[in-house]
Amino acid sequence: MSKVVVVKSQDRELRQPLTRAEYNLFLTAGLRALTGEPNAVAALRKLLPPGVVGMKTNCLAGKANSTPVALTEALADMLIKTDRDANDIVVWERTSRELAEAGYELNAASTAIRCLGTDANGVGYSDQFYSYGEVNSLVSRIITRVVDFNINLPVLKDHSIAGLSAGLKNMYGAIHNPNKYHGDNCNPFCAHVANLTPIRLKNRLTIIDAVRVQYNGGPAYVGSYLHYYGGLVIATDPVAADRVGLEILEYIRATNNHPPLAQVERPVQYLKTAAEIGLGIAELDDIDLEVLDIDVTGNAKEGTLF
Amino acid sequence: MKRRTFVKCVGCGAAAMAASHTELLPEFMRGVENACAFDFTKQLSTVEARYYRKLEGGGIECELCPRHCRVTDLERGYCGVRENRGDTYHTLVYGLPCAFNIDPIEKKPLYHFYPGTTALSLATAGCNVNCKFCQNWEISQSRPEQTNNLDIPPASIVDVCKSRRIPTIAYTYSEPVIYYEYMYDTAELGREDGIKSVMITGGYIEEKPLADLIRQLDAIKVDLKSIREDYYRDIVGGELKPILDRLIQIKTAGIWLELVYLVVPTLNDTDAEFRDLARWVKKYLGADIPIHFSRFHPQYLLRDLPVTPQRTLERALGICQAEGLQFVYLGNVPGHHAESTYCPKCGQILIQRRGYRIVQNNLNGNRCNECNREIPGRF
Repeated sequence: MSKVVVVKSQDRELRQPLTRAEYNLFLTAGLRALTGEPNAVAALRKLLPPGVVGMKTNCLAGKANSTPVALTEALADMLIKTDRDANDIVVWERTSRELAEAGYELNAASTAIRCLGTDANGVGYSDQFYSYGEVNSLVSRIITRVVDFNINLPVLKDHSIAGLSAGLKNMYGAIHNPNKYHGDNCNPFCAHVANLTPIRLKNRLTIIDAVRVQYNGGPAYVGSYLHYYGGLVIATDPVAADRVGLEILEYIRATNNHPPLAQVERPVQYLKTAAEIGLGIAELDDIDLEVLDIDVTGNAKEGTLF
Repeated sequence: MKRRTFVKCVGCGAAAMAASHTELLPEFMRGVENACAFDFTKQLSTVEARYYRKLEGGGIECELCPRHCRVTDLERGYCGVRENRGDTYHTLVYGLPCAFNIDPIEKKPLYHFYPGTTALSLATAGCNVNCKFCQNWEISQSRPEQTNNLDIPPASIVDVCKSRRIPTIAYTYSEPVIYYEYMYDTAELGREDGIKSVMITGGYIEEKPLADLIRQLDAIKVDLKSIREDYYRDIVGGELKPILDRLIQIKTAGIWLELVYLVVPTLNDTDAEFRDLARWVKKYLGADIPIHFSRFHPQYLLRDLPVTPQRTLERALGICQAEGLQFVYLGNVPGHHAESTYCPKCGQILIQRRGYRIVQNNLNGNRCNECNREIPGRF
């Protein structure tokens, strides 16, 4: 069994997009539930040993629908409380331009939280190819050299080819040739990219931002397809996190009178592939799902996914 | 000296490759002859791409190559250099070569196309296939953000050729099909000034864009990587059938054509394949099409295979000659007699080559100076 925690709220006092303090409430509740630790700092200590921690964002869609700055700030606040130097936290993406366009302040200096793209001076891609199955790629040196552990911070959204864009798909931003892997609904490629050795070994935690979910027309931003779900999906198992994300996405599509992804030629088969190669759990029945509803004060109670 | 300044100083006649490719610098230096000023740029092109259609419900379908990538907003095609922005498809590499050099025309290789002349050779990042043996994977399998790109619009390419008296522009190294618009416009401008254009390609392009392009070109060299469909699927990441169709189209159009076949040990080197290849070429393209069997060196994703043995290349040579092909060459085997051109009628050595160097030329115009047999090509 893999544990997945969904923290959500329909509290109208929680503004959207969420603030740093509001994300703090979500993360605290979610990380406690995931680890059984008394607080978020203890949870992060349990999940992430000392070392440099990366946060892989998804900033393809600009400010409107990328990993929120407030989420990375709230998480960084907690990581610093684990006695980690701020400079040992690296917010990153494929390019610095995408980060900047999503509202991030770039910083490649040796003080404060780093924020940079793989294209930043002196970074680039690995010298050697990493291969698994159908995938042969150079991997961002941010993964191979800079960070010791990575937190995957995608946004939950529809994808015109893959069907689901969440954690596994977000790892396309860690390789040099993602354009080669969009055939066949990104299957088996999404699974195989996430199983490249440095990515598989360093990804320790997935936190999917499902506060505002674009349920159609992705991955670019299309405002008319935005649905307020108000949740985060948190897990150490990247496949299980995506599987729950898919359940949410399909529910939102149905709610908005859109057919299941499989009916529009976008079946999400790569999760099954990922499970078959041992990357995680893709069967809902084998996932220990805990749903928490929280209010504006951070009080959490058992909730339902929908 | 900063790299940028260096390139500004040496300018044309040099190759600008991805920054990590320092092993290319000795060749880079050899090309230096005088100064021009071209800067690296981080900006990508926003020129609208040609050959695509907008789809109902959003997105576009690229109609440049047989992949027909369907690309939604902010996504790119398989080539990595064409991007949908608000359902307008853009080429990101127009005027932005990442490789730029002056080569002997023999290096393309084109052996029957103005031997002993030079070609201003250029390439951008990107490719529409993914050959596991690619010799230029550092640029062909990269996106334009990952290469160091010079800012050289078509008119500047032509100006360099005119000022340096370079007769030909070669679109080469990666896959010119993916920078079609840049190639087309440069070739068209060059033609107005008497500068010839040659495309060095895998031939994975749709019929219509090729038909339009041929009008601006003077020669095409096609890498026919195998005569087996499964090889194209498994090793190249493409399809054979459209390429065979395009070869016939090129031949029919009357533009000069040469073929290269890279012989990869254990993967495409059987007698049966060489025979099938020779028979297909003879039947559909003619016995007088030059074909070059090139030696493989371990590269990219096929680093565990050996260099092609010379005897394998000679086996291919023998089989193709036995099948009646008249101009069969061996490549990457400097000093081999099969680098040279012989008269099919009297056996006289017509053009003796050593590597890319012409040692002697016994052609009289386009005829053998011994028996007066006409030799196909452009001389």
